[in-house]
Formats: sequence, C-alpha cells, structure tokens
Amino acid sequence: MTARSAIHPGELLISLGLIALGSFVIYDTQSIPDPQSAGGVGPRLFPYLIGIGLTLCGAVLGWHAISGGWRNVPLDQEGHDRPDWLAFGIISTGIVLHMIVIGWAGFIIASTLLFVLVARGFGSRRSVRDAIIAVLLAIVVYFVFTYGLGLKLPAGPFGVA
Amino acid sequence: MDTFSALMSGFAVALTLTNLMWGFVGVTLGTAVGVLPGVGPALTIALLLPATAKLDPTGALIMFAGIYYGAMFGGSTTSILLNTPGESATIVTAMEGNLMAKRGRAGPALATAAIGSFVAGTIATILLTVMAPVVVDFALKFGPAEYFSVMVLAFTTVSAVLGASKARGLASLFFGLTIGLIGLDSQTGQARFTLGIPELLDGIDVVVVAVGLFAVGETLYIATYLNRQSDKIEQMKGSIWMSKADWRRSWKPWLRGTAFGFPFGTIPAGGAEIPTFLSYATEKKLTKYPEEFGKGAIEGVAGPEAANNASATGTLVPLLTLGLPTTATAAIILAAFQQWGLQPGPLLFETQPQLIWGLIASMYVGNVILLILNLPLVGIWVKLLHIPRPLLYAGILIFATLGAYGLRNSWFDLALLYVIGVVGFLMRRYDIPVAPVLVGMTLGPLAEQQFRRALAISQGDLTIFLRQPISATVLAITALVLFGPPLWRLVRRFR
Repeated sequence: MTARSAIHPGELLISLGLIALGSFVIYDTQSIPDPQSAGGVGPRLFPYLIGIGLTLCGAVLGWHAISGGWRNVPLDQEGHDRPDWLAFGIISTGIVLHMIVIGWAGFIIASTLLFVLVARGFGSRRSVRDAIIAVLLAIVVYFVFTYGLGLKLPAGPFGVA
Repeated sequence: MDTFSALMSGFAVALTLTNLMWGFVGVTLGTAVGVLPGVGPALTIALLLPATAKLDPTGALIMFAGIYYGAMFGGSTTSILLNTPGESATIVTAMEGNLMAKRGRAGPALATAAIGSFVAGTIATILLTVMAPVVVDFALKFGPAEYFSVMVLAFTTVSAVLGASKARGLASLFFGLTIGLIGLDSQTGQARFTLGIPELLDGIDVVVVAVGLFAVGETLYIATYLNRQSDKIEQMKGSIWMSKADWRRSWKPWLRGTAFGFPFGTIPAGGAEIPTFLSYATEKKLTKYPEEFGKGAIEGVAGPEAANNASATGTLVPLLTLGLPTTATAAIILAAFQQWGLQPGPLLFETQPQLIWGLIASMYVGNVILLILNLPLVGIWVKLLHIPRPLLYAGILIFATLGAYGLRNSWFDLALLYVIGVVGFLMRRYDIPVAPVLVGMTLGPLAEQQFRRALAISQGDLTIFLRQPISATVLAITALVLFGPPLWRLVRRFR
C-alpha cells in the first residue's frame, strides 16, 4: 500500500458534485410556488434546509479531500489501483441497450442482450452458451411474471400475449 | 391477556393454508437469493415489490417477513463457506465461521448458525410481541412534534453513529432526503424538483433506488474492481450435525447474542454491526477455549449469528409501532406497506389488527420453517454458490431491470436505474454508506409532514419542539449523539 498523497482528485470531484447538487437544490427551491399556507410553513423550507445540508457536507468532504484524503477510509482497497473500465463500459452498454430496445423488441430479446453483455463484461468468452441460457431464463421469467403475477411486460415481435 | 388474544387471532391468520404457503415461499426464496453472494435481504424484497403489488397485503407482508429471515440465513451460509460477507452484519460470522469451514467443520458452523438464528429469532419475536403493545400505547400520546423529533434522532443515528465517517454518512442521508423531495408536495400539491419531466411528478420509486444502488451499483463495482480474483468455496465435509460438545458450547452464546442483538435493533441505532461485534468480543472473553479463537471457535459463530437475527427482529419494533425504519431493509419494508396505502404506526394496530398480528404470528412460524427447511436442504443452497460469476451477475441484472421496468413500463425508470447505479458504484468505491439514502428518502417526506403539522398547530412557533417534554428529551439525546463524542475528545485534549 503506497502512502496516500495530499490531494485526492476522485474524492474532491464527488465533494464538488455534492456542493453543486446542494446549490442547485437551493436555487431551484426559489421556483417552487408558495401559496402561503396559513400559520404553517410552505413547501420551501425543507428543500432549503436539505440544500444547505448537502452543500455543507460537500464542503467538509472537499476540505478532507485536499487535506490528506477522506477520513477512515478502509485500507483493504484491493483492486482499486487496477480498474477494469472495459468491463464497466460493456455492462453500461448492456443496460442502455436494454433500455432502448425493450419497448419495441420486447422483454425477451432485450433481456437476452443484457444478459450476454453483462456476462461478457465479467469476462465470459462463451457468448453462445450465455445466449442460450439467457433466452431460456427470459422466457421462464416472462411467463411467470405476466401469467403468474399479472405484470405487464412487452411481448415484442413474437408477441403471444 | 389482550396481547395474548390478539396474538392468537394473529395465528389464526398466519396458519391459514394460503398464508402458510406465502411464509414457505418467502423463506425458500429468501434463502435461495440470500445465498447468492452480493444479494442481501434489502435487494431481494425490493426486487419482489413490483411483482407483489396485486397480491393481498397480509399474504405479501408475511412472505416478506419470510424473505427477511431466509435471506439473513442465506447470508450467513455464504459468509461461512465463501468468506465474502454480503452485509456488514455478517463480517464477524465470516471470520470464525470461515475458519471453521477451512478446518472441515463447515457443517457444525452452519448448524449453530441456523439453530442460533432460530433460538434468537423466536426469543426476539416473543419480546416483540410483549413490547409492541406497550410502545403503541406510549406512541399514541405522540403528536407531530414528538414524531418529528424521533425521526431526527433516527436520521442522526443511522447516518452519523454507524460507519466510518460522519461526513460521508450525513452526505448520504442528505442525498436520500433530496431524492425524497422530488415529486408533488404532500401538503400543497406543488411540484418540486421535477425539472419539467412528467414522470417525476410521482417521485422516484424506492424500488428503483434500492435496486440501482444494491444491484446495478454492486455489479458495476465488482466487474470494475474485483473481477480478477476468484473466490474459494470451502467444501462441506463431514457431518452437518453438532456434537454434544458443540451444543454445550453454543447455547450460552445464543442467549447472550440475543441479549445484545434485540435491544440494539429496537433503538434507532439501526444495523446489527455493533451487537455482533459486542457478542464476538464477549464470547472471546468468556470462552474456555481461548486458543481456538482466530482458528474457528464455534462460540464466535453462535453468538454473533444470534445477535444478528435478534437485532433484525428488533428493528421491526420501531418499524411497526412508530413507522420508523432504521436499516435499509426496514426502509424497503416500509415502502412495501406504503405500496398498499398502509402506514405502519400505532394507528395500524387499531385499524388493521389482523394484518399486524398476522404478520407477528407469521414470524414465529417463519422461524420454524427456516429451521426445518434449511438444515436438511443446506446442500442445495451450497450448490447455488457454484454459479459462475458472469452468469450470476447477468441474472441479477435481468431481475433488476425487470423490477424497475415492471413499475409502470417506462424506459425512464430504466434510465434512472442506470444513473442511480452509477451513483451506487461511486458510493461503493469511495466508502459512502448506502443505508442512509434509503432511510432518508422514505422517512424524509414523513418527517417534513410532521414538522409542518407541528408548526401549523403551534402557529409557526419553533419552540414547540423544545416545550413538549418527550420531544425535548429526544432532541437532547440527538444532540448528545451528534456532538457528544467530539466534545468529549476536545475536553480530554485540554485536560
């Protein structure tokens, strides 16, 4: 384990993100119409408090990030120095494709695509086997959920429902 | 006597054939899914929420109770055989339990975990039965000010007491509170933070958040950082049954573990981490075989497992009597109640006694099912551990997307699922706790409602929270919890 350097860019970015989100909450609260409910508080007070809370947390974490790193981070961060961004990308592609496709291609095709891509992201080289398992699983899930539990799922071109 | 007859009528509900079946389904499903590494009770229940929306609430809640227990037991099985604790509460079990498995004593380790869970779960359910009516009586005196103060205490303990860092816990809580703001304001009907997107008017569903954080976030994290190493599964060798010596060494730790677990579950200090560690430390001190600790001592499995289960039951006390979730799982069970328009709390004991007492009675039944189902079937559960990792996570994501899409068949929920998944990935990577997000988003809107009611009653006078004795006491405890430890450190430094 190498010594932690003074400034941690990832931690700093997250802290700045929190500050940005908090500031946005405070800013956007001003556009909430306040019908001045009698005696009580309107719909703006809590958003203001939460926005301030977020910003403060972001500020404290930001300060920690540039003064030696966040406090009490566990040391057993195995693998953190060797991230596998290709895997991250493949799985993300799978989820986004599934989202685009499910509406018109149906649940079974979309889920098969997702399954094969996630397995691939985890290093599986046997895409044909994965696809067969995926189709079988998706068909079973489709029928159990639509006929057994009354959930509406898109059938797609082979629609039987 | 009143409690007794209420409980008996509860058994009449729980022991009907359909509800027994739901309990059975719940325990089986919970164990099967809980055994899978990386899937805990919170995720299991969240995944099943959309699928149960059309069922009768009593049956579905009984199933969820079964899932809760089953998933906890499944999690211990994984910890013992795989040494990858699914949740922080089973870290301790993983330490001694995995060492026992390495020495070929996986069977007795699993048996003491299962029987200990049964003993602890049953005692804790008895305590719940006795305590719930008392707390309900007390809570009926609560006004909006008291409710708000108790919720603030819960927010504080969930985010600032547990975990490594107050700042990260609170950041997570405020993020959850922000998610809870989205949608129509319950009092005035004004749209807040919907960014002009019609899908956001109903708010963000807790299913999307829970599944995004636990399933998508975890999958991305494992794939990106941990996929290079392979897990080593310990073999089940020898007898599963405990010897006489094992029994003699287990029964006291079970009882002591229960005594640690239940109180910690009931106070809003959520989570089973503290009691499991306390139990472990106690057993280590009291054991006659100190040389075995660190090499696989059965006491080190029996005590913490009992503590874990007793605390899980304990968290149901504030959840059912006050509507107060103190763990991620409890937050999702609260969302399950809300799915049927039910709000847990003292009033539910009056309006829906059948449902509440049926649920409590089903917990006795669930514990028995767990015991008779799991010990003989442990061999089957262990087989689930052998599913190759690519297929396991691919399958988890199919169910995750199904859960989010099934809510209202909208691609928008899938987009949200991915965004929240990336947030979960970052939280996992940078060691930010996840439970405060879920507690914040489910409890936040309720807290705001109580706050505004209290101020409407006091006509805008903020001192109402300090003038009511119960409310003032609770707020004082909150301040102590939040500022006590740093002040104490400061005082000691100056001495």
